[in-house]
Amino acid sequence: MRRNGLGGVLHAWRRNRAGGLGRGAIALTSLASGVGTAAIGAAVLFVGPMLAPPAAARPPAPVAFCKAYPGSQACHTGFADCTTCHTVAPARNAFGTMLSERILPGAPRPLTDEAFLAALPSALKAIEDLDADGDGVTNIAELRAGSQMANAGSVPKAVACTQEQAERSKSAAWNVCGYDPEYAFRKVHLDFCGRSPARADVEAFRGLRGKPAAWRESLVSTLDRCLKSPYWIGKEGVVWNLANPKIRPAHTVKSGDNPGPVPLGDYDDDYNLFAYANSGDRDVRDLLLGQYFVERTKADPLAFRVLSEDELAKRGRGTRQPVVQDKRAGMITTRWFSAVHTMFTAIPRTTAAQAYRAYLGYDIAKMQGLTPVSHEPADYDAKGVAAPQCAACHSTLDPLTYPFTRYNGISGGYAYDANRLKEYVRVDGPRVAEAPASGMIFGQPVADLRAWAAVAANSDAFAQNVVRDYWKLLIGREPDLRDQVEYTRAWKGLKSADVYNYRVEKMLHGLVLTNAYGQP
Amino acid sequence: MKRLVSLILAAGLAASSAAAAPPPPAAAPVASIDPRVKFKDGERYLRDLSDGLGVPRESICKEMSQYDCFSDAFRIVLGGVEGPNLLVNSPLEQAPLTAPIAVDRVALHACTARVDLDVATPAQARLLKGGGRGAPGAAWKQATTLRIYDAVLRRAPTADETRRLVAFYDEVAQGRPARSPEVKRDWVILGCFAAASSLEAIFY
Repeated sequence: MRRNGLGGVLHAWRRNRAGGLGRGAIALTSLASGVGTAAIGAAVLFVGPMLAPPAAARPPAPVAFCKAYPGSQACHTGFADCTTCHTVAPARNAFGTMLSERILPGAPRPLTDEAFLAALPSALKAIEDLDADGDGVTNIAELRAGSQMANAGSVPKAVACTQEQAERSKSAAWNVCGYDPEYAFRKVHLDFCGRSPARADVEAFRGLRGKPAAWRESLVSTLDRCLKSPYWIGKEGVVWNLANPKIRPAHTVKSGDNPGPVPLGDYDDDYNLFAYANSGDRDVRDLLLGQYFVERTKADPLAFRVLSEDELAKRGRGTRQPVVQDKRAGMITTRWFSAVHTMFTAIPRTTAAQAYRAYLGYDIAKMQGLTPVSHEPADYDAKGVAAPQCAACHSTLDPLTYPFTRYNGISGGYAYDANRLKEYVRVDGPRVAEAPASGMIFGQPVADLRAWAAVAANSDAFAQNVVRDYWKLLIGREPDLRDQVEYTRAWKGLKSADVYNYRVEKMLHGLVLTNAYGQP
Repeated sequence: MKRLVSLILAAGLAASSAAAAPPPPAAAPVASIDPRVKFKDGERYLRDLSDGLGVPRESICKEMSQYDCFSDAFRIVLGGVEGPNLLVNSPLEQAPLTAPIAVDRVALHACTARVDLDVATPAQARLLKGGGRGAPGAAWKQATTLRIYDAVLRRAPTADETRRLVAFYDEVAQGRPARSPEVKRDWVILGCFAAASSLEAIFY
């Protein structure tokens, strides 16, 4: 096994510690506090259920709940959040308690998953007209309105003006009952250019009131100009910072320009690819499908250039991108991604979990996006994840992870290696080499990570996640029931070849014309 | 110090439309049914002050005369991020308790920087212009109020806002020599501060 000096030291430390600590925790030990968040999250995933009492939360419940109420706000991602029924799972909130009492009352606990799933729909039906949190609104009314069924402080709100309010608002300084072009004009300046419009520009725009074609043209030209501004697309600009939670930079281990003390990988490649795929007339699915790298050639106006394979091959040792081109999958096979998530791990669950969280919006540590696969987890690396309480999540996570197992982290020099797992037999046991390169995502079998990425990039979850990132940034909140029609139109439009065709900037042109954006 | 604090508080009240007597119910505007007011964050706030006050962004606000108020001093507190070293990859979901203090400091820095420039180079003055050596008249106070609102909020003040800020001059002047140039200077700084620390200037 190839290892650099630091890799060797950490690997030895890991082996020495393996005898004394829990198995799962060792595999997920982070390199440094600067890169440990994901590892900690995954460690909690593993350790947490061991501490939980036997009456744990039901992994199939989020999906089953949404089968009963597919159009509800609680199910806008396809999976109900754990907090629908729990405070902190397995402890139940008022709604969960009310529901639990009606699921096969008197039957011995714990119920099997099959018995639970069979009894759930009728139990849900039985409490629809009750009021779990005592706020005067029935459970079903709260579910339909998108308010919380177990929180008396959360009640449905009015989502429309009365006719009288609408009439008065039309002639007011702010039209709070409809799309207000002047309000949107100011917001476009602040959101995309980073500064308020000049007073003269506002007054000129105000002169376009009552001329929809003219003010739209003005708004669009402002947006187009601002989308090219350094504030929006430049280094450490808005789009750059949108990538932070996905890339998780840590200067300590940065290589390339402005390197840290232990230079492992250069995340500038990741930021550049992110900004490139999120700008211009480019397909945002390249975040998961791109097989190239880019550099910034000019700051203002920003210009990118795709690097040739020759240029990449000539890079120095610290910034090379060792995964061969035909095995690359955008942001999830970069040197940086493998360095900080896979590190020295045979079955890199943390890597898969971060890819699932960052690009599809599902945080397995919060029991989101669980689609259990039967006979999983196989526990090829003998980490104990087949224990019932661990299997709840690992029956999804492990098959999600197998396609990542051929991609090296720090040990192995970040390269793709079809036989990589043989190197881990000594530490993780003989079965680790049997772990397949194929896996499952969203219930679909995939042959390798390229196939995994293709399913992911073409999924509803990916489009929803892209739009949700911009929605939160520009609207200032997660899309909720009030936004459902416009949010759905936006992410479906992103997917549609006839609408936005996976072009983020086109989608943003639509987003700034929504009522969610332009109604004060 | 105590007097300065009380003047700053008074300046805030002077510019606050919310503190005005409520208009008759018939004129009350319709309240938003779904308000989504957003914080400008420190960088946008400073850019707006820089544009409006005509002070370069890089010099408009320096803590201890050397640390940029946003990039170096209050970045996280004022809604910024710093992933590589601080591991703050997303803006704080809720503004910390110290955010209003930081905003006040930024506003006071920016306004003081502008007025110091006005005093140093009267030919290029933006806010503190003319007024003669004696106590200024009402017309000068009104014109200065107009300049402050135009620079900071990019609009004309309402009649009520003008009345309040003009009246505030007397509070600043109280107990001080009538001909003191410091009174005018302090009033302009505090008038600017009042506008710059208003909800209208900070949120959008």
